Amino acid sequence: MIGLLFALPFLTYLGWLVWALVAYPIPLSYNLRSLWQRKVSTLSTAAAIALVVGIFVVVLSLAQGLSVAFVSSGRADQALVLRPNARFELNSSIERDRMRILKVHPMLKRDAEGPMASAEVVVVKLFPMADGSDTNVTIRGLERMGLTLRPQVHLVQGRWFRPGLSEVVVPRKMQGRFPGMEMGRSLRMGGRDWQIVGAFDAGGASFESEVWSDVNDVMQAFKRESYSVMAARLEQPERLEGFAKAVEEDKRLQLEVVRETDYFKELTKAGDPIKILGNLITLILTGAAIFAAMNTMYAAVAGRTKEIGTLRALGFRQREILASFQWESIFLCVSGGLLGSGLALFVNGIQTGTTSFETFSDVSFAFTITPGLMAQGVAFSLVMGLLGGFLPAWRASRLPLTEAMKGG
Amino acid sequence: MNAADRFDLGGGEPVITLRDVAKSYWREDLEIPVLQGIDLEIPVGAYIALMGPSGSGKTTLLNLVAGIDRPTGGSLEVCGYDLNDLDDDQLASWRNAHVGFIFQNYNLVPVLNAFENVELPLLLTGAGRGERRDRVEQALSLVNLTDRMRNYPRQLSGGQEQRVAIARAIVTDPDLLVADEPTGALDAKNAEEVLALMARLNTELGKTIVMVTHDPKAAHHARHQIHLEKGVLDRTVEVNR
Repeated sequence: MIGLLFALPFLTYLGWLVWALVAYPIPLSYNLRSLWQRKVSTLSTAAAIALVVGIFVVVLSLAQGLSVAFVSSGRADQALVLRPNARFELNSSIERDRMRILKVHPMLKRDAEGPMASAEVVVVKLFPMADGSDTNVTIRGLERMGLTLRPQVHLVQGRWFRPGLSEVVVPRKMQGRFPGMEMGRSLRMGGRDWQIVGAFDAGGASFESEVWSDVNDVMQAFKRESYSVMAARLEQPERLEGFAKAVEEDKRLQLEVVRETDYFKELTKAGDPIKILGNLITLILTGAAIFAAMNTMYAAVAGRTKEIGTLRALGFRQREILASFQWESIFLCVSGGLLGSGLALFVNGIQTGTTSFETFSDVSFAFTITPGLMAQGVAFSLVMGLLGGFLPAWRASRLPLTEAMKGG
Repeated sequence: MNAADRFDLGGGEPVITLRDVAKSYWREDLEIPVLQGIDLEIPVGAYIALMGPSGSGKTTLLNLVAGIDRPTGGSLEVCGYDLNDLDDDQLASWRNAHVGFIFQNYNLVPVLNAFENVELPLLLTGAGRGERRDRVEQALSLVNLTDRMRNYPRQLSGGQEQRVAIARAIVTDPDLLVADEPTGALDAKNAEEVLALMARLNTELGKTIVMVTHDPKAAHHARHQIHLEKGVLDRTVEVNR
């Protein structure tokens, strides 16, 4: 509601400007050519705007990349079963007895190999990164069915791990970020050496931040008595609430069920610190960019007072001058916005990672620039043009006519 | 040149009527009178040169007549309108319809070519593209610049720039042309050409012209000279040509 109160005058003014574009007679070519006549100041201001918009879009693309990673990890027809109030797999534990009961629950979907459920264990292990720092990496032990439940995960090199042989498969995208993750190398974890026998790709999903192995091998090596989670596909996805109720109320189980998509949506909060930091940086830079635009437009008005006076003498009204200079400012900033959004494309697809404050482990994801994000960048530059140009345009429209005609 | 009766500019329907017009500026609490008690009738088709020493108020008087400035006292009727009754927007529309401006430094918009500069006042009239083109070409032809219509001001000589400015001043077919030192930035040859052109606009098209000038040669092209002294009308001189 408060947002609307702030937005209303802004949108009304923008609407008036669009109307002025059609109804008022000062040609836009006048503004475009005036900008081009002052090439140096126009280009330097547009470059500053481009930088800010570029940073804005890149920050949004980080959050977008994280969101893609988590959203594409979950399926609406699958559920995760966790210890009550565990919130995340890492905090959860499910004893073997309970897991046995769970896996034969009648509401689970079955295929030729049996119930579509995978008992899994999740641990974290500190790994050195290519840049010399260390970070926690999630190690997921899973059953064969776990692979079937994640159809977005494809083997791109080697083969899948075999139970009992201390073998792991690693995400292809982690191989560049972590040394020693090449095929044929081995990882030291839980007092053993684990042979890397394959590399997989998960289409941007958060599994690309995890090392996978057999569930029993991981439990043995890390001395775990209980599983962390059960991933399962439901026979009737629309009856998830019924399944959750049954699992919660069953005295032998008393576990919590969450839809996979909801679980991963919760994990996207890992991007919040990036967003906050990014927004802070963007806010500061935006202030500077608005002042740069304002300064350029004030200089434009000061250098063209006689021109403004002449237009007024010829019969152009104050509001026509206001709209004209406001559009000039918008063109200036939007050209920077288009440039910045375009430049941001260069980071599209670059792999990076962050530490999730929810799971204290590394989350790999890619900068993801979408047309929507680029449009947001351009819209952002339009706002800068409006805010930065308003006062100079107002001054231009209010110059006393006799003074303006004497001006330089 | 004969001294005529004070402020008698001949008969004819007045296009400009000033009654006890005064203009003062204020510097903090200090009133600085620039014009006082101006009573004047200028008939349709007159060609007036406003003369006087610097600070005598001639440019201020021109600005009042052209609706660029407002008087602090008296009434001012120009082209059938009491300018005191018009608000800023109405005054802007009035200027567009009734007044053509010729400035000392031409005041062309540097990023627009000659055609576009002349077209500017027509953009406010609602005329269609075709009509605008015809009228701009006609105005430029009158000042002999049809071959330069795509040139930008920087590509024109001073004389050509002033001729473009004159074309812009007449393109809306206004009743009144106001000129502030129109030859002040020109050499003698170009000044003579511009003055001859203005004389033609007066005699052939019947435009009423009010021109501020210091230059006696320029003033000689007018039919009457009105001299101001310290903000009051001093005398009128009819020019024998």
